[in-house]
Amino acid sequence: MGKKKKKSVLEQKKADTTKRLGIDKFYHDYYKQLLIIPFVLLLLAIIVIGINFAQTGMLVQTGVSLSGGLTLSVSLNEPMDKLALEERLREELPNDLLVRETVELGVQRAITIQAAPARVDEDLLALEGQVISVVTEFIPTLSTQDYTVEIVGPTLGQAFLRQTVFALIFAFVLMSIVVFYYFRSFVPSFAIVLAAFSNMVITLAAVILMDIRLSTAGIAAFLMLIGYSVDTDILLSTRVLKRKEKSVYDRIKSAIGTGLLMNASTLAAITASLLITRSEAIQQIMIILLVGLIVDMINTWIQNAGILRWYAEKVESEGGRK
Amino acid sequence: MNFRFILLILLLILSYIAINPQFDTDGAAIRQVERGSPAAIAGIESPTGAVAPTQREVIQSINGQPVLDVQNYYALLLGLSPNQTFALQTNEATYRITMPERPENASEDLFLDIGLTVYEVPSNNIRKGLDLSGGTRVVLQPEERVVPEDLELIIDNIEQRLNVFGLSDIVIRSSRDLAGDDFIIVEIAGAQQSEVAELLANQGVFEARIANQTVFSGGDDIIFVCRTPDCSGIDTRQGGCSPAQGGGSACRFSFSITLSQAAANRQAQATNALSIVSSPGGGASLSEPLDLYLDGELIDSLSISADLRGRPVTDIQISGSGSGATQQLAIEDSMANMRQLQTILVTGSLPVSLDIVKMDSISPVLGAEFVRNAIIMALVAVLAVATIIFIRYRRLLVSIPVIVTMLSEGFIILGFAALIGWNLDLVAIAGILIVVGTGVDHQIVIIDEALRKEEKARSWRERFKRAFFIIFAAYITTVVAMIPLMSAGAGLLRGFAITTIVGATIGVLVTRPAFAAFIERYVHEDDD
Repeated sequence: MGKKKKKSVLEQKKADTTKRLGIDKFYHDYYKQLLIIPFVLLLLAIIVIGINFAQTGMLVQTGVSLSGGLTLSVSLNEPMDKLALEERLREELPNDLLVRETVELGVQRAITIQAAPARVDEDLLALEGQVISVVTEFIPTLSTQDYTVEIVGPTLGQAFLRQTVFALIFAFVLMSIVVFYYFRSFVPSFAIVLAAFSNMVITLAAVILMDIRLSTAGIAAFLMLIGYSVDTDILLSTRVLKRKEKSVYDRIKSAIGTGLLMNASTLAAITASLLITRSEAIQQIMIILLVGLIVDMINTWIQNAGILRWYAEKVESEGGRK
Repeated sequence: MNFRFILLILLLILSYIAINPQFDTDGAAIRQVERGSPAAIAGIESPTGAVAPTQREVIQSINGQPVLDVQNYYALLLGLSPNQTFALQTNEATYRITMPERPENASEDLFLDIGLTVYEVPSNNIRKGLDLSGGTRVVLQPEERVVPEDLELIIDNIEQRLNVFGLSDIVIRSSRDLAGDDFIIVEIAGAQQSEVAELLANQGVFEARIANQTVFSGGDDIIFVCRTPDCSGIDTRQGGCSPAQGGGSACRFSFSITLSQAAANRQAQATNALSIVSSPGGGASLSEPLDLYLDGELIDSLSISADLRGRPVTDIQISGSGSGATQQLAIEDSMANMRQLQTILVTGSLPVSLDIVKMDSISPVLGAEFVRNAIIMALVAVLAVATIIFIRYRRLLVSIPVIVTMLSEGFIILGFAALIGWNLDLVAIAGILIVVGTGVDHQIVIIDEALRKEEKARSWRERFKRAFFIIFAAYITTVVAMIPLMSAGAGLLRGFAITTIVGATIGVLVTRPAFAAFIERYVHEDDD
């Protein structure tokens, strides 16, 4: 055992003499300084979330599927003036409204209207009638076959939000337990959990800044994010901790080679989906995953890798000295 | 051949059998048969929700002329004349159906229906959830906590109400969320019928009172409710329809019911105590009317004719009204109200009243477009991933298995869904995306371990052990992340959680090991 450690220290010293260029050199020499980036991002994100919470009393703005209200999606055969429709709706209704269009490869295909109840006890079925009568002004031939209505009562929406947030926290705790059990070593496990936590927090702040109203699908996206972000972190930690050949830095670099390809393929799939999808729900999932994955690249390859390198080099040099 | 391949191929074959793709989809599938309609009299039965999509009864011809699709079915039906008896052939039997009579003074264009609801023949056994197939979903919450037996009772009653109403392709289930609240989720495929929401939420306590004393109520007191045109409909004797105050039109409906002897006796006692007064329209009636209440609300007040005083009559008329902007709309509203009231009288009341907490009415057109869009999206995403893999490794022998593995994972999930008959909805598609997406990550780990140049000395077994160490860790974290979602928030994301867990399990146990075996056998680092 001791012999093996000694060998790896030797290798590490040998590796340190290799000539490095450009990004490789920068990444190798300044990894501790680079650690500032993810932590500053995390801090900024917490500030954004804090300000938003102070202003609105909510962690994040929720769409009607979580806060109650009505969503009407109309499939379009010919283009429709979205702004004119929005104006007419605002004239007629006192409700908080959101009108969006769904575009598939540049062609307007559907229009979605979200309306929050103006009063707690507003009859949402009656609201549906009012919204539809305005839409009929624009599409006189509108029939029930052409549109989808989803109505969520405020109590169900809030219960749903509360419980999915609980589910999210619970999932996070379970994931942390699995990670700690798997690696049985505090610093590397903590680094993975911290990276996953930073991902969620920074992505949440991005969601606030992009003015996205979170829907049930968005919550599902955050859950997906746990799975996606932990993938690369586990790859990294396994490569660095469970192998002893070459230097810690070389093992990190080999993990980056694999991990960036994983990131690239996922990004390609997400971008393709985002360009094609016509579903509001899938669109939101993809936007959150896209942001989350970019954030994950910073948190995995700078934050997690930095902490892990600092830890592994320390352990291996101590092991070598013994 | 490696057992991992055999297992994968076996699962793919099983999935194919479960999905049972059909290439001949001519005809019109029967979704529903209206009660008492000519089709029902001829012996056609409504399919239950348990019948697999490709096993549904399909109409193949009418009077020897082939039925190609739904439009074709209606066109052929239009060509038949009233009272004509014709042969309707399905894949199961041939029925002789008689077209209904044309009602008096109905216009020539009135469509004479035989009471069948049809839809395009399903091309496979994958049950599409409401998000994709269109229909109505109502989520109900009891106003107070109920014991499980009551919940069962409510579900039975709701099912009965929908059946009486004429809907049979329905799924009703209860779901308990993390806070311990129970919800009842009702899904009606193919029909955009928001009016049923009210029917379901009504507790349906029906009471007939005289001088504020209950003489009979819904359920056991009523032994028969007439629902055929000869003793129910718009009540022409009471004036039928008339212009309503403040514009529009109002119509009255009535239907006859038969009371139990005990209820009739109670009514006789109650009327015995009343005096006779002369009614405004001439003739004599009793001093107190018969008031009809539904869930505590007065729906109608009927004057009782004088000669009924003290007589235990069992056959009585129940009436009510409806209104609308035009006379046609008023008639439709009255008929809808009548059907609701009849349904409630037949099925009795629920133990508690229910709140509608969610109601979705989803267009089948939008659903079909969404499916088409999702398939294109999935294929483009798979191609995008394969392209990236190809750019990195420059080998088709690596890229093609990646595509095959991704498609196999998707296909096996669909096969599993078809096998256990669960509805594939929008969130389940999101689940498939996460499975296939993490699957690619895992394949990259496998390829990378296999093609690693620096460690030629290591055996394949050791390399895959290391790859699967990473894969299993990622798998377990994904699964534990999904578990709490199974029942959060009325179980609306359950489809997502189940799909992800099932799909990831198949991936880790079957498709990814098979992929590894393929790479082991055919791809070697010294191939470059």
